Amino acid sequence: MKRAIFLFYFCVVLSSMNAQTPKELWASANNLYSKAQYADALQGYLKIEESGYASESLFYNLGNCYFKLNEIGKSILYYEKALKLNPSNEDLLNNLSLAKDFSLDKIEEVPDFILKTWIENINYSFSSDTWSYFALIFFAATAFLLLNFRFGSSSRLRKISFFLAIASVLLGLLAGYFSLIQRYRYTLKNTAIVMKPVSTVRSSPDDSGKSLFILHEGTKLELLEEIGDWKRIELADGRQGWITSLDIEVI
Amino acid sequence: MIGMYLKRVMLLLGSVVISIACMAQGAFTVDAPRVVELDESFRLVFTANSEPTSFNPPAFSGFDVLAGPSASTMSSTQIINGKRTESFQVSYTYVLQPKSVGKFTIPAASVVIGGKGYTSNPITIEVVKGDGNAAGNSERSAQATGNVSGDDIFMRMGISKGRVVKGESLVATLKIYTKVPIAGFENVKFPTFNGFWSQEIETPSNIEFVRETVNGKIYDAAVLRRYMLVPQQTGSLAVEPSEMICLIQIKSPAGGGQRSVFDDFFESYQTVKKRITAPGIHIMVDALPPGAPATFAGAPGGKAMSAKLSRDTVQANEAVSLIVTISGTGNINLIEAPKIEFPADFEVYDVKISDKSSKTNKGASGIKEFEFPIIPRGSGHFVLGPVRFSYYDISSRKYLTLSSGDLELKVGKDKGGNSGMSSSLSLGVNKQAVKSLTNDIRYIHTGLSHLKRGNQFFVASFTFYALLAIIISLFFITNSFLSKRIERNRDIAGVKNRRANKVARARLKTAESFLKQKLYTGFYEELHRAILGYCSDKLALPLSDLSREKIAESLIKKSVKPDLIQELLSLIEACEYARYAPDPGGVEMDKNYSRAMRLISDLEV
Repeated sequence: MKRAIFLFYFCVVLSSMNAQTPKELWASANNLYSKAQYADALQGYLKIEESGYASESLFYNLGNCYFKLNEIGKSILYYEKALKLNPSNEDLLNNLSLAKDFSLDKIEEVPDFILKTWIENINYSFSSDTWSYFALIFFAATAFLLLNFRFGSSSRLRKISFFLAIASVLLGLLAGYFSLIQRYRYTLKNTAIVMKPVSTVRSSPDDSGKSLFILHEGTKLELLEEIGDWKRIELADGRQGWITSLDIEVI
Repeated sequence: MIGMYLKRVMLLLGSVVISIACMAQGAFTVDAPRVVELDESFRLVFTANSEPTSFNPPAFSGFDVLAGPSASTMSSTQIINGKRTESFQVSYTYVLQPKSVGKFTIPAASVVIGGKGYTSNPITIEVVKGDGNAAGNSERSAQATGNVSGDDIFMRMGISKGRVVKGESLVATLKIYTKVPIAGFENVKFPTFNGFWSQEIETPSNIEFVRETVNGKIYDAAVLRRYMLVPQQTGSLAVEPSEMICLIQIKSPAGGGQRSVFDDFFESYQTVKKRITAPGIHIMVDALPPGAPATFAGAPGGKAMSAKLSRDTVQANEAVSLIVTISGTGNINLIEAPKIEFPADFEVYDVKISDKSSKTNKGASGIKEFEFPIIPRGSGHFVLGPVRFSYYDISSRKYLTLSSGDLELKVGKDKGGNSGMSSSLSLGVNKQAVKSLTNDIRYIHTGLSHLKRGNQFFVASFTFYALLAIIISLFFITNSFLSKRIERNRDIAGVKNRRANKVARARLKTAESFLKQKLYTGFYEELHRAILGYCSDKLALPLSDLSREKIAESLIKKSVKPDLIQELLSLIEACEYARYAPDPGGVEMDKNYSRAMRLISDLEV
């Protein structure tokens, strides 16, 4: 009995010694990266990710590590993951475009409706969290203006307050919508990155299907449907085909 | 004039002295075969290039002196195109015969030429037990056999090392050994060295035979070709056999009736063709071990390196060169230029490479110089290098890295260029765009990690909804609070007004009826009573105690406005006055009534 207790205690001590808090891991991995020990830094970041944590900075640093280790596919994957958390990060956009320069496939994107891209650009100029703060501020302003409208001393002030309140509530709703849209896109797992250096896209979800085109590491795909181990994908230029799940990784 | 003349004489004298010195320059050499047979007599010749005053022969231990010394003098004068060359030789010749088999050294002989002593080198002679077919007596053996066997003449390819690492140089020597006289060669096929970088380092134009012993037999040996080989592949590399046809002179076989008298008298020779082959050989080439440093320049061998700048202080836009010199044994000319990182502001031009390499029997060695011409464009203090160079050390079987120290370069401000414009105001400097040297990703985020589990977004989080609920509820709470307060405020004022009016009306009810009836005295009596009654009720004073002073004092205590108090007091005074005064007219009554009404209402509110 005594021995069992001792053993148990020993095990607890051991596990507590091994387990580092995510904060310590984060600090040590940053330190390793600064010493150009990218592989070791990568292990640290991956450990944090395995323990269920996520953040834009974590994904960004993971992307940097993979880039330094010359794994362009993985690096793009993590940059895209970070981008889903915050599409407005400048560093991220810079590094992603640089990493994309190293991927082989050049795909002409089909241009979208100008208003849509315009709205999207406004949406992506702030992160979801920023938009939600804006929404709260606008709602609070609306409440204040409504009170002003009801209890204002002069009729002029009441009039102005009324219109401002309407504008504020609309802006608040828009900000909330942008924020929710970003969150929705994050939960929507409908894009993927090609991980294999060379991957064949086929016309049907089996190996006998005709090879439609070849994709290389780092190319972004949109996932449409799934049959078994095969995924139907669409490229940015509108071409479609089936690819095996082993070759890609969902963002 | 005299000075000039003197000078000329001096010059003349100088040249004469030099020529005498040249004449007097003595040399004393010895010449003898290196290998002799036991019963062979051979010649040993000491040669001096001018007439010696004395000759001191060495002691010939191990040899019998059959003849000598016999001195002979030879002089020749040549005039070619008016240029006269003279040569003069004195030689002392001994004929010796060895006493026994072994190696014997004949010590140095010495001569005195022009009062100066010279000694020859000691010479070692190997004495072997011969088979009577020594090269010197080859005529006899060829005569005896009439044909030439494989033993009499053969070729051999010798290599300096049998096992090398890739890139290590070795020397291959193709030699011919013969006992018979050779008249010429035909169809010479030298080997091709597949898998090697090869270079001929010795191609003698006239073949010189030297005596050598092979398996105890004496041959005349000569080097046909000497190659330096650098293996470029690993594994067992084969050197192909080389072959040629030798034209050998042998004596015509004796006997046969056709021989004339003259044949016996004049020895007749005939030429025989013989194909000889040097067998192929194999050379084991090992791969260089893994783990070569990045600065490995691709050649093994012992090396030394130095790096220096042609000047260590320059002005901007002035050229300066960094010179890296690599020297050592091994294949120097295969070394690539070391990679040097210069500051980005430097313009670097193509490397100038010069090499001085010598290839000897022992292999190659030399010096290779890399000159990096650079032009610094900006001023400052720069540290170049260190220049690193790695090589594979064959003896220790390790990669060794040489490193020069830091090279410091001080670059001053540009002095040239606008010197012509120094008088006028400079128009400013040429603006340069900030050049991107390379692209790299931006650095990692090192600040707060913002690590979160589960929901990453604020928008749908509990906090967000809670804040939203707080905003909405705050709105409704504030709204209802404000509306209630306004409602209440409005009510209190109304009630008070209404009650005050009511009280005033009730008090002044009788006075009003008197007013309507225009009863002058009655109206004022009633008005006076009503006001005093109101004051006694309001101030809780007994009617008997009421005086104007008391009323004023109490009202001040109740902090009623002073003008109201004044108004009240004047109204009371007016009432008291009117009771004892004649009626002045109807208008005054109405005025006083409304005054009283208003006063009571105001006091009440």
